[in-house]
Amino acid sequence: MTILETRNLVYIYPDGTIALDNVSVKIEMGKKIAFVGCNGSGKSTLFLTLNGTLIPKKGEVLFHGEPVKYDAKSLRELRKNVGIVFQNSDDQLFAPTIYQDVAFGPTNLGYSKEKVKSVVQSTLDYVGLNPLKKKPPHHLSGGQKKRVAIAGIVAMEPEVIILDEPLSNLDPVGADEVMDLLNELNYFGKTIIISTHDVDLAYRWADYVFIMNNHQVIGEGVPENIFRNEELLQRAYLRKPQILEVYEELRRRLLVKANGCPKDIPDLVRILKEPELMWVKVSPDVKEGDSINLGLLHGDFALNYPMEAVNGKVLHIHEDCMAIVELSRHYVRAGSIMIYDTDHHDSNFLRLFISNGDVDTVGAMGKRSKLIAEKDNIHLDITSGVIDRSILNALCGQRCLIITHGGMIYHAFERITHYIKESGINIHVDIINENGDISSLATACTGDVSCVRSSEWG
Amino acid sequence: MTYILDDYALNSPLREKNNWLKILITIFGILVGVSSNSPVTPLVISLCMGFATIHFSKIPPKFYFKIMAAPAGFVLVSAVIISFFTGVGNEIFGFEFFGHRFGVNTDGINMAVLVLARTISGMSCLFFLSLSTPMIELFSVLKTTRFPDSFIEISMMMYRYIFVFMEVAMGIKYAQTVRLGYKDFMTSLKSLGMLGTSLFIRAWEQGEKLYVSMNSRCYDGRLILMEEKKPIKRSDIILTVAYFILVLIVFYSTKNILLIGGIS
Repeated sequence: MTILETRNLVYIYPDGTIALDNVSVKIEMGKKIAFVGCNGSGKSTLFLTLNGTLIPKKGEVLFHGEPVKYDAKSLRELRKNVGIVFQNSDDQLFAPTIYQDVAFGPTNLGYSKEKVKSVVQSTLDYVGLNPLKKKPPHHLSGGQKKRVAIAGIVAMEPEVIILDEPLSNLDPVGADEVMDLLNELNYFGKTIIISTHDVDLAYRWADYVFIMNNHQVIGEGVPENIFRNEELLQRAYLRKPQILEVYEELRRRLLVKANGCPKDIPDLVRILKEPELMWVKVSPDVKEGDSINLGLLHGDFALNYPMEAVNGKVLHIHEDCMAIVELSRHYVRAGSIMIYDTDHHDSNFLRLFISNGDVDTVGAMGKRSKLIAEKDNIHLDITSGVIDRSILNALCGQRCLIITHGGMIYHAFERITHYIKESGINIHVDIINENGDISSLATACTGDVSCVRSSEWG
Repeated sequence: MTYILDDYALNSPLREKNNWLKILITIFGILVGVSSNSPVTPLVISLCMGFATIHFSKIPPKFYFKIMAAPAGFVLVSAVIISFFTGVGNEIFGFEFFGHRFGVNTDGINMAVLVLARTISGMSCLFFLSLSTPMIELFSVLKTTRFPDSFIEISMMMYRYIFVFMEVAMGIKYAQTVRLGYKDFMTSLKSLGMLGTSLFIRAWEQGEKLYVSMNSRCYDGRLILMEEKKPIKRSDIILTVAYFILVLIVFYSTKNILLIGGIS
């Protein structure tokens, strides 16, 4: 279902420069959309027409299929439902304290005092900024300011959230937290639109991509198609995502399966071709054609891959008892991923679990969970790219714990079960809270999880 | 980062105390200090206020004395001048200068000391308030005093953007300095001019951006104020009343006591 649409939009700045030239886009409800283009390609101007700030010269903007009207009442309705987070947080944070800034939108929507209070409180909790609510914005770091700016919009409960360059000037962990937040919002049904010139981000994150150049949309589609179209990328002054380039170089050297389209490192690892032949030192009585059991590979043969059982067929015996062996391998045991829900936090249980549960790595997703982990003195091995790193570690036989909350639990669950389905590698996934309700909820929402749930944590 | 008064106030433990109580203490201190005609009362007030600021408000003493030093230096100079040019009475010190007699007499010196003490006590009261009550809290005080809303809203935004512009101005100034923009007097003037111009333009642009971003969040003329109930604790009342009684006792018992000349 289309939620926002523009038809042949033309916008010309008062000084005569063309800012939008015949732009027609359709934005599907509940999707993650990225507008990718170099600086000055018209992304920001387009965004300002989407919430009625700029009135197009020609063409029209449609919200829920209805053309946007520019009288005060319709504009209010539109802006309530289409929230914009500006690139520079300082443009947006004008109230003297964080609390007041987040309360600004709800107050202007005419909510009652009590409702404003509860909305602001829950939004601040949600983005993990409650401890800072009485601070003025100039005492905050860039990442915190960005989260306040997002909270200010989220508090108005819009259907569409537009973010202009959400990750500019953020450090990697701060950027990750913002992206986690966006994923969670998207999980609860918000349509998220971002603009960026970071092709890696757009490729990894978006469901659908629009490429802009020279005030026009010059390409659109799912990222797998768009970012393999070299000619299009060149026209837009963009480059290929790094992971695709790595993949293509590997493919040229016959190191990966063909026809893959990896989006992240776990994807890439999945389609790696394993070595078929290997030099092995054998005892003198082994003959060509024999089958030998090499046991578990470790050391230099299997760096970080300790749980692989290998049988080999001896093809040729060289001098000094060195043999060429054809490998047939299978995973003895992939590791497991356990998810802990901090909404039902019990610090004794968690601490006991980490010390007794033989957990190799602990990761936390979302600011609120990170704060809880910090408060309980839990050492975090992973703080960014948590799901991906955990999958990779689990593939290497480790037991990983992800501490998180809310919609991110479902996001992680889906991501992991999807990977299990695609790769056929059985990673145990479980929610480990004592509270049984959540476990069954997760099982219900992902359907086939029961087959991979391990009995050992029942 | 340079720390300013407001930054200290934001982190002060006294921030959580009732704003009206703090204002009452300040006004009381100023009024009693000014109406006293002996220098002892103001000195007692400034000692108490200084103690409260350093001990309860946790302001580093070094910083406190530094900000007190500025007005104190000013008053000291005025006190010297006052002591030379006012009053009659026994001359205690004097000299001839180009045939003109300059002398300090008892009245003059009493007056000078009184002015000095009153000013310092007033300053310490004001610093007590401004180092324990950030601007943010004062906005809600203004609100309850029925100030016009638009006035408060504009001052709230001004407050916020002072810091944005301070950052921009510092950034520009730094960029100019590293390219030797302040190497001598003339270039300094030129650079300062450019700094002013670009700040003006930035301010203008920022205004436009602010308008857009407020509109995007459905602005219809309402900003919310942090209204927080800060109950006055019993210990606060006891301490305040004790302070008031102490000051009043000193006020009455030192009435007309002068530094020189005893009781007049």
